[in-house]
Amino acid sequence: MTSIASDSSNIGPAELQDTGFKRLGLHILIFIIIIGSWELAGVFNQLNDLLLPAPSKIIVKFVDLWFIKGTIWWHFFVTMFEATAGFFIGVGIGMSLAIAAVISPIFRRYISPYAIAFNVTPGIAVTPLIIAWFGFGWSSKIAMATLVCFFPPFINTLTGLLYTDEDATELFKSMRANKNQYFWKLQLPSAMPLIIAGFKIALTGALIGAVVAEFFSASEGIGILMQRTSFKLDIAGSIATLLSMSLMGLLFFSIMEVLDYKVIFWKRDARMQQISKKRKAAWRM
Amino acid sequence: MAAVAQAVASSKVAVGDTVIQANNLTKAFSESVVALENASFKIKKGDFVSLVGPSGCGKSTLLRLVAGLIKKTSGNLTVHGKEVTEPRADTGMMFQRPILLEWRTSVENVLLPSELLGKVTNEDKRRAMGFLEMVGLKDFEFTFPRQLSGGMQQRVALARLLQTGADILLLDEPFGALDEFTRERLNVELMRIVSQFKTTTLFVTHNIQEAIFLADQVHVMTPRPGRLAKIIDVPFARPREISLQLTPEFNKLVAEVRDVLGGDH
Ligand SMILES: Nc1ncnc2c1ncn2[C@@H]1O[C@H](COP(=O)(O)OP(=O)(O)OP(=O)(O)O)[C@@H](O)[C@H]1O
Ligand SMILES: [Mg+2]
Repeated sequence: MTSIASDSSNIGPAELQDTGFKRLGLHILIFIIIIGSWELAGVFNQLNDLLLPAPSKIIVKFVDLWFIKGTIWWHFFVTMFEATAGFFIGVGIGMSLAIAAVISPIFRRYISPYAIAFNVTPGIAVTPLIIAWFGFGWSSKIAMATLVCFFPPFINTLTGLLYTDEDATELFKSMRANKNQYFWKLQLPSAMPLIIAGFKIALTGALIGAVVAEFFSASEGIGILMQRTSFKLDIAGSIATLLSMSLMGLLFFSIMEVLDYKVIFWKRDARMQQISKKRKAAWRM
Repeated sequence: MAAVAQAVASSKVAVGDTVIQANNLTKAFSESVVALENASFKIKKGDFVSLVGPSGCGKSTLLRLVAGLIKKTSGNLTVHGKEVTEPRADTGMMFQRPILLEWRTSVENVLLPSELLGKVTNEDKRRAMGFLEMVGLKDFEFTFPRQLSGGMQQRVALARLLQTGADILLLDEPFGALDEFTRERLNVELMRIVSQFKTTTLFVTHNIQEAIFLADQVHVMTPRPGRLAKIIDVPFARPREISLQLTPEFNKLVAEVRDVLGGDH
């Protein structure tokens, strides 16, 4: 989100900003036309509420879920917790394995067939096993989220750390840097953009993992809410729940964008200038 | 040729003045790729030596051997009388690309060598600022590499090299990627800095004029296998003006180098 703001600030000429507004206007227009005709179809009784209710009905359900009955809050929190916990565990495992594989070529050689086998297996298909191993509570959802999300941080960290610029490596050698200095001052920062890209994919994956595990068996969580509403043929409620999931996805996405913007400042001109001023002000000698 | 013969003859005794000495130095990456074969030379303290030759003749290989970055196949190579086995604190290297850390400001990049040695002192910081001023980057101390032009980035790299405190500078086509105007300016500045610090300098270039203009001695190399074909002394007094390149004496040396390299250069 913030990155979009910084990008548009780079667009200098007024005409470009103009087309930006025009484009936005067009987006809104198209949106209104689609939703409007959908709503109209409902008004003229062309919609079956058991298949596709009108937008207004979905909105009513949405408001009901969030603000009148307020049933969704707890489920929303549960799923968010499961996904977040799974994300942190997955990132922890993925990055540790990657670092171990970078440090030890032998470990790298023996782990890589498993990593590949793991990656080509559809993680979602493991859900019944995970439920069998971890039970019906939160832990199986967290395990599922972990399973689905650990691979991107693993492979991105590994790739990022392995492909350090060769000339820079030579420069560090010529300055007699030790292993620690090489890792902290060159390898890790160079890999940061790729690592964060891995985090982004992982967080979305964690949400998918948690929700799918909830579909299988759960007593709380946004996935089970979705299932209950659809079993009751409350399609408007289902779609309202689905929209709430999108909201969570969007929230996760924004958090990652902010992280990216803060950490990888050297790829963003506006942010770089800001940091440059900060460092100047903080300079002491 | 005379110089090579002399270097070989006196190689057993390390003369006090000699900083870098090579004796039948050979580097083969494989049986068929002999990057450098039987190179023998001596470089005196404070000398500026240019290495010139066509692509692939082993210039970078020679430099990386002296830097201790790669191991020789056979022969001898000593710096200050000691066999080179690993990078030394008194040698510093600079490459064609600036290789700055993008997430560090200019001054933070210059401070890198001090950081690698231990804690950064206020004195280190003052020196870093001084070197940046010396290379003409006052007011750019806190900008990031991406905000600097290619020439300015290479100036930061030069300041970083000076910050290492090395008195043997190994420069691998340091300004080769820059436009001609910038390169000429930087060459003049480099000459000034190098004579101020009395460093021993090994400078790799493709450009014959540049090689002669900067150096006390030009080492001419030829490819396949990489050989040090001839060592030519450059007698011109210092400081030198750009206009030196227009004199007949200068062009006689250019012709001499061309002659060694064959017609195609
Ligand atoms: N790491 C390596 N492995 C195998 N062969 C190498 C390696 N480095 C250099 N060579 C080979 O050694 C020869 C000399 O290479 P070198 O880089 O020293 O040439 P150069 O004179 O610096 O060329 P240029 O002017 O293009 O930089 C080349 O044939 C090159 O292919
Ligand atoms: Mg080279």
